[in-house]
This record gives sequence, C-alpha cells and structure tokens, in this order.
Amino acid sequence: MNYFPDEVIEHVFDFVTSHKDRNSISLVCKSWFKIERYSRQNVFIGNCYSISPERLLRRFPCFKSLTLKGKPHFADFNLVPHGWGGFVQPWIEALARSRVGLEELRLKRMVVTDEGLELLSRSFVNFKSLVLVSCEGFSTDGLASIASNCRHLRDLDLQENEIDDHRGQWLSCFPETCTSVVTLNFACLEGETNLVALERLVARSPNLRSLKLNRAVPLDALARLMACAPQIVDLGVGSYEDEQDSESCLKLQAAIRKCTSLRSLSGFLEAAPHCLSAFHPVCHNLTSLNLSYAAEIHGSHLIKLIEHCKKLQRLWILDSIGDKGLEVVASTCKELQELRVFPTDLHGGGNTAVTEDGLVAISAGCPKLHSILYFCQQMTNAALITVARNCPNFIRFRLCILEPHKPDHVTSQPLDEGFGAIVQACKNLKRLSVSGLLTDQVFLYIGMFATQLEMLSIAFAGDTDKGMLYVLNGCKKMRKLEIRDSPFGDAALLADVNKYETMRSLWMSSCEVTLGGCKRLARKAPWLNVEIINENDNNRMEENGYEGRQKVDKLYLYRTVVGTRVDAPPFVWIL
Amino acid sequence: MLSGSMPAGGELLIPVTNSGYWAFGLREYPPGTKPSLSVNLSLSLTFPSTSSQRATSQDWPPIKPRLRDTLKSLRLRQRGYNTALFIKVYMEGVPIGRKLDLSTFSGYESLLENLSGMFDTSVICGNRDRKHHVLTYQDKDGDWMMVGDIPWDMFLESVRRLKITRPERC
Repeated sequence: MNYFPDEVIEHVFDFVTSHKDRNSISLVCKSWFKIERYSRQNVFIGNCYSISPERLLRRFPCFKSLTLKGKPHFADFNLVPHGWGGFVQPWIEALARSRVGLEELRLKRMVVTDEGLELLSRSFVNFKSLVLVSCEGFSTDGLASIASNCRHLRDLDLQENEIDDHRGQWLSCFPETCTSVVTLNFACLEGETNLVALERLVARSPNLRSLKLNRAVPLDALARLMACAPQIVDLGVGSYEDEQDSESCLKLQAAIRKCTSLRSLSGFLEAAPHCLSAFHPVCHNLTSLNLSYAAEIHGSHLIKLIEHCKKLQRLWILDSIGDKGLEVVASTCKELQELRVFPTDLHGGGNTAVTEDGLVAISAGCPKLHSILYFCQQMTNAALITVARNCPNFIRFRLCILEPHKPDHVTSQPLDEGFGAIVQACKNLKRLSVSGLLTDQVFLYIGMFATQLEMLSIAFAGDTDKGMLYVLNGCKKMRKLEIRDSPFGDAALLADVNKYETMRSLWMSSCEVTLGGCKRLARKAPWLNVEIINENDNNRMEENGYEGRQKVDKLYLYRTVVGTRVDAPPFVWIL
Repeated sequence: MLSGSMPAGGELLIPVTNSGYWAFGLREYPPGTKPSLSVNLSLSLTFPSTSSQRATSQDWPPIKPRLRDTLKSLRLRQRGYNTALFIKVYMEGVPIGRKLDLSTFSGYESLLENLSGMFDTSVICGNRDRKHHVLTYQDKDGDWMMVGDIPWDMFLESVRRLKITRPERC
C-alpha cells in the first residue's frame, strides 16, 4: 500500500465508513494517519466532554458530519438534574469560526439554544441535515432560523426533544424555493401547526421520504398530506382522533392505498382505534411499526393490525397487546429483528399484561430476533433459559421487571441463572440490562461469558463489591457501565483504576461509594473527570469531617483528554 | 428439555447436551430463607437523606419522559381525579386503630411525618432501631412488609393496612 499515491489510498479509505474502522486505520502508520485525517467525513464523539472543538478541528479539518452526545444515558430517566451540562454552543461557535464545511449535525442529549441554531443556520452554506434526539433548551424560533436560512436543507429530524413551542410560523419560514426536504419530523412539538404552510411544503418536496407529524395534525389534513406525498416511506401519524367525519376516513383510506412505498408507521398519539383499519392495505409492506404512544388503543385492535404485517422487522408496542398479542406477533412476524414492549401500568396493579410467556413465545417464533427491550411484571429463570436456547443471536437484551428485587415468581429464586443462560448463549451480546432479584452470581456469569458486552445497565442488583468487580475484570470490551441502587462501593470502584481508560464512562447512583473513595480515585487517575452530582444539599458533604465516609448520591466519571470542564453548575463537583 | 419446576430440596443440574450447551446448577435456598440483601434502605425523618436509595415515580421504571407523561394522563383519565384511599393504621399494642387517606400524601416522607404526629412518636421506615417505631404494611398478598422499599405509587397500589411496630420487633 505504501507504493500507491495518496489519492488512491484515500479512495480506498472512502469505502471504510465505520468510525471504529477508521480509528484503526489511522493507527497503522504516520502516512495513513495523515491521509485518514484529511479524508474523514463523519466524526462521532460519544462524550462531548472527552475532547474540545479546537482539538477536533486540528485533527479532522475536513469533516462534513458531526455527531455529538452529551448527558449520560440515565438522564433519560430524570436522574441527571437540569443544568448539568452538555451545551452545544461552544461547538457551534468553534465550528462557525473555522472553515469546516459542515453539512450535518446530529446531537443526542444536549442542550441547544435558539441562538445556537441561528448561528448554525447562518454559518454553513451547505448545511443539509439536523438531527436532534432527546435535546432541550430551544424553541420553535430556532427551528424558524433553520428553515429560513438553510437553503439546501434535506433533513430536519426532531426526536423526543423538549421544545418550547411558541406556536409561531416556523413551517412557513421555509422559502418557496425550498424543494429539497427529504425528512421532516416534528412529532415532539406540542403546539399547533400551520397546516396550510405544511401542506404547501409537502406538496413542493418531491423527495420527501419521511414525514412525522405532531398531535395537532387532524385526520382530514393527514389525508391531504398523504395525497400530496404518495412516495412517502416513513410516516408518523399525529393525533388520530375524531373519526366522526367518515368522509375524512374514506379520503384517508384512498390516500393510504396510493402510498405503495410506505414501509414505516408511527405516531397514533391520540388514537381512535377504528381508523387503524384504514392502514390495513399497506400493512403487508411494513417493516417498521411504532405504536408505543398509542396508549388508548385496545389490544384487540393492535392485534388486528399486526396480523397483516408479515414483513415486520421492527415493532415497538405497549404491553396492552398482552401475551396473546405477542403470540400473534410470534406467528405472523417471522422477519422480526427488533421488539420493544413498553409498560402501560407503571405500578404492578395486578394487570399482568405481558409475562414471561409472551417473551418465550416471541423467542420461539421469531428466529431473526436480535434486539429486545421488554418491560414486564414477572419473570422466571426457566423462561429466560428457554429464551436463550431459542435465540442465541441477541445483540441487545434489555429486560425490565417493574418491581425492584422481584424474584422468579414460581420458585422465588433470584434470576441469576436466567440471565446467566442469556449471556452464555448469546455470544454476540453487546448490550444488556438486568433486573429483578439478582445476587453477585449473575455478575460472575456476566464477567465470565459476556465477552463482547459494551454496555451494561444495572438497577437494584447484587450483594457485595464482588459483583461489580466480576464485571470490571471480565468484560474486556465494556464501554458504558451504568449502575443505580446497588450495593457496590469504594473497593469495587478503586480496584482497577486503569480500566476506566478503556471505557467511555461509568455512572453510579444510590450505591455505596463515598466521597473519600471518589477523591482517591480522582487522585489516582488525573485523566478522568470524576463528577459528583449532589443536588440536595450543596454544603453538607464537606461538613463535620466525616466526608470520607459520606455516601455519594450520584457519581459520573469519564475519560477525557481536555481535563476538567469549565461549564459545570454549582451542584456538580469535579474532583 | 428444561422444565419450569424443580424437585423439592437439593440442586437441579441440567445435563450438558451434545451441542455443547451449559450445565447449570440452580442453587436452592433452604425453605423459609431468602438471600440477604445488603442494600441500605433507611429513610430517616431526622436526617434528610443525601442518598435516597429508592426509586421515585419520576425515575423508575426507566422510560422516557414523553411516555411517562402519556401514561400518567391516561391513568388519571381512567381512575378519575379524586379517588380517596382510606386504610386502617394500628400502633402495636394499641387495640383501637385510626384511618388514614393515603391519597393525600405525596410520598413516604409526608406519610411518616403525619403518622409521627398522629401517634405522637417517631416513626421511620427501614432499619430497626431501639428508639424509633418502624412502619410496616400488609400488602395485597396478605404479607407484612417493611414500608419504603418500593416506589410510592406502587406502594399505594398494594397497601391494605399499616402497622407501627414496637422498636426491635421487626
């Protein structure tokens, strides 16, 4: 390879898109490092505090797409207080000052402002794609800037963000000359939508493939929109109530029948069950179905819909579908790869919607299943052992038994053996979430067998520090470890400090780690940021000299090359 | 073939099959015992807890805020906005009990505060203590449990009556 001109090597590198592979390439030799640097198009930064924008730009001067992630995963569940961090502003400012030709920005769990969006929209002539997932801090005014100023906007994809909806006219800010939109997802907006502006935008966007509407778009408008965009591939239906107008329903059915490219369906935020049947004609082509917000649709209607979906690869649904419904899924959806079953009854009120039987049925019926997220009230070791035998191909296995510490409901034993069977059978397992009554034994199994595991979520599990040690010592590929309400303390935390250099981050909340232990860790590992999040009482931790033994509420540590961050709020201590 | 039931007593070993599967021993705990949990779950009235070792309804189960809100409003619509939840409360050794509307409390802390006032003593959850009375409850299965282990909303669903025990009795 050394005898080829750089352009040829670069051309070869163009075929390598995975950032992990590109990272490996850059380590081969100086020449490859240099070529790879200048040719890297897509940069992925899993923790925005691990590096600075300046260093990013020095290393990769020519990138076009940037992905940034901010807050730790448990922020999704209200465990990270407001104001913790993850501000994108310094990144946008640094990129704007540089000459990088940014075309795409993908942010997850970051704080975005209207000023930032305005700056973004004005600074990059070729900006095409904005994807915001679980972000907050901005309003529809920021969206208006993006719409107005990004001449070549292709994607505006807003997933599960907290957006201040000023009910303004952001949709009408798209100039009449804008015909390039491919993805438009504003399902998370709460306010009213300018339907006229929306219809006109959709009508003049022949490349529109993905359209996800919010609550405010009623049935008759949906029918008109679909009539304008029969080429649609991915549709998010907004509010779906008001079936009173049967003419609207008929128009909708007619429009739907023309959408022969439709493969993915979601939304149904407030759904009138009877109109689900309007979608039956397109079900046979659907590969992805997300009904996880359709809380008011009865299980029987869900089942009727799914019976038509033989090509389904991805299904997100509520547990109101029941074990019977999952049996229908198992016998209908033979192509199923990913299943998520979310809870409807958060407090175990006797409504055992899905049980271990549903999970076993799915594992038996769907040979291609590799990802599952399953919320349920009860589980048994026997069921998990059966699931492991049926499905040794799991890459992601997340089981959440709603009641903490709940044992096998038949034998009253811990669920160690069940999860043990999963990790032993599934040799490609990359992500695991465990729940129910679990002792240190399950972590022994995880450390022993889960060799490919990259992300592990632990809640209300384990007995002693040994549990955490088994995992830290055994799982060589661990990147993200998040633990809550488990009795792991300083001994486990401090046993192998160098381990954390091989990981992206560690989160421990409501565990047994002490302030003294965290301070010792911070001293031993200056290349880590050790953050203590202490919302309750800022000063109590230093009081009365018992700080060494004072338990830490929330600990978040991560490797970084740029040291302590300067934007931490007062309730975050960086040791 | 694996079956769900286990022989009483002793260990169950699943034989290694030709395909090289696993051999698992299901450890049996002697009847009547449960594995000891070393998680410290004390919620004391006298010191505000810096480390609340329990799930609140805001952070458990692990679902995203949007789904949580959707389900909450669904629940409210289904159950009606003002359902009272009166249960009996006894102090151990005192034959006459009281009645309490649990729906008026926002969580364990306000419940304990109210009970301490009502019975003129210090009532806590969790750790046995020589000084404090410990609060227990009878759940829908009829079992007597320590108050405070599960999220508040879950507790409201399963509590049937309360008993304030004498110190050192649990």
